[in-house]
Amino acid sequence: MTAEPRTPLSETPPWHAVADRVRILAPAQDPVGLAAFLDATRDAHAEPFAAARMDTLARLSAALLADPVLRRDPASVSVAYWLRRAQLARLAEEQARRAAAEPDVLRVPVGRVLHLAPSNVDTLFVYSWALAYLCGNASVVRLSQESGVVVEALLRVIGSVASEDSELRTSNRFVTYGHDDAITAALSAWCAHRVIWGGDEAVAAIRPLPLPSHASERVFGSKYSFAVIDAARYRAAPEDERARVASGFFNDLFWFDQMACSSPHVVFWIGAPEAAESAARDFERALQGEIGRRRFQPPVASAVQRRTYAFGLAASADVRVVLEHPGFVGVHLRDRSALDKDVCGGGLFRHLPIARLSEVLAFVDEGDQTLTHWGLDRDALREFAALAGARGLDRLVPIGQALAFDVVWDGFHLVDDMLRRVRVQGA
Amino acid sequence: MISPARALLDLPPFGLSQAHKQSRLLPMLRALTEHHAERCSPYRNVLNGVFGGAHRLRVDRLEDVPFLPVTLFKTHVLSSVPESEVLKVLTSSGTTGQQPSRVFLDAETASVQSAVLVKVAQHFLGKERLPMVILDHPGVVRDRGSRSARGAGILGMAQFGHRPFYALREDMSLDEEGLRAYLQQADGRRVLLFGFTFMVWQYLVQSLERAGRRLDLPGGVLVHSGGWKKLQEAAVDPRTFRERVQAATGVERVINFYGMVEQVGGVYFENPIHHLHAPIYSEVIVRDPVTLEPLPDGAPGLLQVLSCLPTSYPGHSLLTEDLGVIRGVDPEGTGMGGRCFEVLGRVPKAELRGCSDTFAARA
Repeated sequence: MTAEPRTPLSETPPWHAVADRVRILAPAQDPVGLAAFLDATRDAHAEPFAAARMDTLARLSAALLADPVLRRDPASVSVAYWLRRAQLARLAEEQARRAAAEPDVLRVPVGRVLHLAPSNVDTLFVYSWALAYLCGNASVVRLSQESGVVVEALLRVIGSVASEDSELRTSNRFVTYGHDDAITAALSAWCAHRVIWGGDEAVAAIRPLPLPSHASERVFGSKYSFAVIDAARYRAAPEDERARVASGFFNDLFWFDQMACSSPHVVFWIGAPEAAESAARDFERALQGEIGRRRFQPPVASAVQRRTYAFGLAASADVRVVLEHPGFVGVHLRDRSALDKDVCGGGLFRHLPIARLSEVLAFVDEGDQTLTHWGLDRDALREFAALAGARGLDRLVPIGQALAFDVVWDGFHLVDDMLRRVRVQGA
Repeated sequence: MISPARALLDLPPFGLSQAHKQSRLLPMLRALTEHHAERCSPYRNVLNGVFGGAHRLRVDRLEDVPFLPVTLFKTHVLSSVPESEVLKVLTSSGTTGQQPSRVFLDAETASVQSAVLVKVAQHFLGKERLPMVILDHPGVVRDRGSRSARGAGILGMAQFGHRPFYALREDMSLDEEGLRAYLQQADGRRVLLFGFTFMVWQYLVQSLERAGRRLDLPGGVLVHSGGWKKLQEAAVDPRTFRERVQAATGVERVINFYGMVEQVGGVYFENPIHHLHAPIYSEVIVRDPVTLEPLPDGAPGLLQVLSCLPTSYPGHSLLTEDLGVIRGVDPEGTGMGGRCFEVLGRVPKAELRGCSDTFAARA
């Protein structure tokens, strides 16, 4: 890594004026202020997938798993697993394979990445940042001012790993600040790539702020997700398989209070209405069984909120609300007319019977992200995804995988976003 | 429909034992449920969609009466009378920035409401209209168009006083001079004070204490209502509150009051053993906040309130967002029948973070 500026700064960069309004959350106790950090990293870069950086992330993985708060938070455990050496090695191998297919392309880091993290999914900033780091970039990660205990713990661990790792320390800042376009604009002037982790409001607010002419940007708007299950197959499935489906759906539903872009809000049941209804009832019983098995205690506030929401749905339309399961609320719809994409969260989902998978197409639009499924064939899913085409859907994954992070996100390869491709042709 | 509560108006408001009261209320609430199911389609939809069907309901106990979440009045128009029969619309918003609740009263419901309020209030305050001091500034009731819940509450109570005096200035400072002049005119008669719990504490009690002065209101009564949250934060429990109010003003009694605009007839004053007491027109049930199972006396949970009053809107059975606990039934030493209870606070608000709030402002 080099950090000597090749050219002197011709004028005072814009971030000098705002740096004192930004609070650095990690790394802690670094004497170099934010302005000096931003100056110094203008020319910093490292090799993509460098061994030292993979080591650092693997150390971070171990430290996350050792943290008493994080090891009890399944989403944080997932981050830690994703940062394990074996997983990173797989990522590096995949990258090497892709590179081999293009022998005259050299991949170099984009340089400086500004990440604007969402506040609904605590762990997402770690993935975004880790990919940028792995690809050899310097990063500024802006976090919400109202971070919870999980984010605090994640930052504490990152900070402690950074205290013994000068490369991590000198190339990254995790920061927070209030609603201040001037600061975002100044940081945008620094970056070569800006990532706005949604949703729509944030994208609308930040996207107009200019970027340097050569910078790129990736934005993630609000997304909507749902599940599809084959009712006949589900009814025929043995008890232990249904328990597995329930366990997977539990994770999909309850992580991040059902407020992640990938959290399902509808279960479409393929089958005749009676079969669909009966399968849906069985599914709810199995889910409540899973809740009991895990001794999951839903927050009282969520229980009250989703119940009130369900009463509102019942007051307005012909639906059946099942309140018998304390862990969640199932709202059974008779037809599509009562279905909209309004989001409740906190453990409420709608059931809708459909005759065939293609009926879902009418419901799909560009704001849709993840279809989780059970009992559907791969060919049928591929055909469905192709038919949905430009209209929507970014992922079709088995139930239980809704919140699994993937380097391909919302249709884009995030590693590609963090690298620049240099065509090198010999004589 | 004639309000079923009319049948109870000749009785003393706490004159039925719990068992007797329940047997009187049950057919009334059953009739109200049927009445609203026929006339209010969102209510009928809820009975069909949540409670298994309006025609298949079995209501054998008060606990079986279907309920609406109280916040539904903020999001839906819930009325059981034609628009032409609506006499007034009560509105309130719990917190600023929220949609207000809308409660539709026709002549019948409005008239029974005020009859019941008078009966219950007179039980505690006597029949005479007393000189009244309101611990608020007069501006809070001036603007009819944008009247707050605070203003509505004040006007509801003000009918029990004679020529009320507003003791606070617009800046919430105590108009002590004006207050003393008013009390002088009252000439030693019993005085009624009314205010919101936290305002009484901050702007009357603390203000007098800081100044090292006290009022002298022998025989006086303070009625106060509103949440305890701010007082809990200041580590002031109900007993301390009463004692310090009495020390600062000399009033004889301090009576807490609980009610909500969404349920006419649900008026709960504090009984002599310092618990809120359900009059014969209404009932309180405590449910598990998650499973909704009715809980035994003494177990804290979500409060459901029932009232045999409202015929013009389906507010006869409401699930509140308040936590509470039943403290006694036909309690000895009060001479009052029925349940008494304590409000423990509000269910915490769900802080569900939308997909769209990287920079979203939070209230």
